[in-house]
Amino acid sequence: MNVLEITNLTKKFADFIAVDNMSLSVAEGEIFGFLGANGAGKSTTINMIAGLLRSNDGTISILGKNSAKQSRFAKMNIGMVPQDLAIYEDMTAYENVKFFAGLYGLRGAELNERVEEALEFVGLQDKHKSYPKSFSGGMKRRLNIACAIAHRPKLIIMDEPTVGIDPQSRNYILTSVRKLNEMGCTIIYTSHYMEEVEEICSRIAIIDHGKIIAEGTKEQLKSIITNTKDVWIEVKSIENANLESIKEINGVEAVFIDENLIKINSDTGVNNLNKIIEHFMSSGIEIRSLQEKAPNLETVFLTLTGRNLRDQ
Amino acid sequence: MKDILWLIQNTLRITFRKKKNIIMYLCMPLVGIFISLLVYGGDQKTILHVGIVNQDQNKITTDTIQFLKGLENLEITKIDEGHVQRKISSGDLDSVITFEKGYSDSVLAGEPGHIQLTSIKGAAITAYVKSYLHQYIDNIATISYVAGGNREIFERMYQDFQHTEYNLVTHTLEDSSKNKFMTNQTIGFLIMIMLMSAGNMSEIILLEKENRTFFRLLSTPINARKYILSNIIVNMIVMTIQVFITLTIMKNVFHIGINMSFGSAVFVMLLFSLIAVGISLVIVSFSNSRSAAGALQNLIITPTVMLSGCFWPVEVMPKSLQKIANFLPQRWTLDTLTKLQDGNEFSGLYLNFMILFAFAAAFFLIAVYRFSRNNTTQNFV
Ligand SMILES: Nc1ncnc2c1ncn2[C@@H]1O[C@H](COP(=O)(O)OP(=O)(O)OP(=O)(O)O)[C@@H](O)[C@H]1O
Ligand SMILES: [Mg+2]
Repeated sequence: MNVLEITNLTKKFADFIAVDNMSLSVAEGEIFGFLGANGAGKSTTINMIAGLLRSNDGTISILGKNSAKQSRFAKMNIGMVPQDLAIYEDMTAYENVKFFAGLYGLRGAELNERVEEALEFVGLQDKHKSYPKSFSGGMKRRLNIACAIAHRPKLIIMDEPTVGIDPQSRNYILTSVRKLNEMGCTIIYTSHYMEEVEEICSRIAIIDHGKIIAEGTKEQLKSIITNTKDVWIEVKSIENANLESIKEINGVEAVFIDENLIKINSDTGVNNLNKIIEHFMSSGIEIRSLQEKAPNLETVFLTLTGRNLRDQ
Repeated sequence: MKDILWLIQNTLRITFRKKKNIIMYLCMPLVGIFISLLVYGGDQKTILHVGIVNQDQNKITTDTIQFLKGLENLEITKIDEGHVQRKISSGDLDSVITFEKGYSDSVLAGEPGHIQLTSIKGAAITAYVKSYLHQYIDNIATISYVAGGNREIFERMYQDFQHTEYNLVTHTLEDSSKNKFMTNQTIGFLIMIMLMSAGNMSEIILLEKENRTFFRLLSTPINARKYILSNIIVNMIVMTIQVFITLTIMKNVFHIGINMSFGSAVFVMLLFSLIAVGISLVIVSFSNSRSAAGALQNLIITPTVMLSGCFWPVEVMPKSLQKIANFLPQRWTLDTLTKLQDGNEFSGLYLNFMILFAFAAAFFLIAVYRFSRNNTTQNFV
């Protein structure tokens, strides 16, 4: 049975369509990734799944039950890690987790056990009595997660759980996500970080303008673009680099700039490397390095949406 | 219900963990009592020191002195005639009663006389002693008149009178108008504090929205309705405590007579607490942030509290302002209390109760309407 099943989901904010007729299903045991640029509609979709927003159209079912009709059942089985930190600053780490877990009906010894377990899971077991005020960004993020898992939900939804934190905390979180998954949780994971999604997700949906524009395993997604390659050219300075004229070179499909790195999407069928190098040399731009990349998720994303994953 | 209790418990625990809140919610209401004590003077039950000069060693005279000794707030000392002026002017005694020779006979003759009252503390004290004394003396004189000179009948009636009279003596005479002012002052202040507390407690809703915890709460089995209900209950609990603390301390510690039953005072104030919650919810429902709510609160609470006579009697304000005050729930609350103080039957005030209840209902309806509209525009409550 599918843990999550979305059909024709639509959400409008006034005239703006944030989620556009989206359909999707997530099977038990998956780590499902949502990939999309800022404002693509990831959070809006997730908030509707978690019952925080009402949809304008379409249905969501959780573990086979319509979440609008059986919202209590749906909510009991979902653990939501919101994109923005949602913890109480004037309660200790322990009290925070206990409070939220208590709302799912847990009481007494069982409640305390689960709270301990959740805090240990995110590595905050020796911070029981500390207030979030004294926490680093990463620790707050981890507490934010602990509050969502103490009631042992079947489906855990994580909206950018690693945004803006140190690498150590990030690794900790990624490891816990895998562990949760091994323990039988189905996970929906949103991120801006391509590497994270590529590393942990078993299936990925690429979302743009409220629509799923591609969906599948990493391999399936990459196979969409087997006929393109990536050429990365690092230059000393991108001044004077005429990007428009690079696009006119035969076979070049798209050009992106990442600081001093020029990323060129090109058709594998056309041998145009010489022409590209010539272009830089004739404009007097010094090339530092050049590499040809096999397609990765980022390439897929760039090719499909025509924009960078992160606005920079 | 279980989850609502969980929310209530948590909010109460977090709230009363902070010293600031304990002061605000539990100590501030008492400030009104101190203000009223400052404005209207101290303890009602000051002991009067009365000196007695007895120049008429008769049974009736001794009984009269005995009667005075039985009065609760009189302290009687026997003094010599020569010391009267000195004792009074030095402040040792508040007043002196002199029973001159012939007092006993004059009472028996039905025409009391030969008694003198000296004091320098003004009419209030003299009047107090006088009123009791005269009543006592008049009674004996009446008995004597009825006995018509028959010694035996007089003795018997007098005996009976002595026995019954002692039971009457326990009541302290209090200045009820002064008490009324003090009660109004205290409750007026309490009303303001209740409005402010209710505002603060309701602002928790906005705080939780700002902290995004509200958002998270909605992802749990709690829904917005239950959440707000729990906030209302916490609010009511806090205000109930405030009402009880204030009324109890006012009555039992400072002995300010409220001139109505404790129960009716509590009832009216709890009715008002519903209004206070209603107002605070309306404010919250119209505000997008805590600062906006705070501003709105100040804009609404302070002027209406002043207009409605919480700080001074409405009668001192111009007629036009008094008319405005009639549209304010605080005015109606005070008005109901005043009517109760004036001895109106609780059951006869149903119109007042209806009006107070209508205020509460109206505020709640506005808040509910606003909240539900917000819901459709997706601000989550
Ligand atoms: N309450 C709202 N009212 C109006 N517009 C909204 C509201 N919430 C979101 N939007 C709009 O809907 C679009 C999708 O927003 P959403 O938060 O789902 O994006 P996202 O994919 O999560 O982006 P990010 O990566 O920045 O978190 C955005 O353009 C946003 O401006
Ligand atoms: Mg988002």
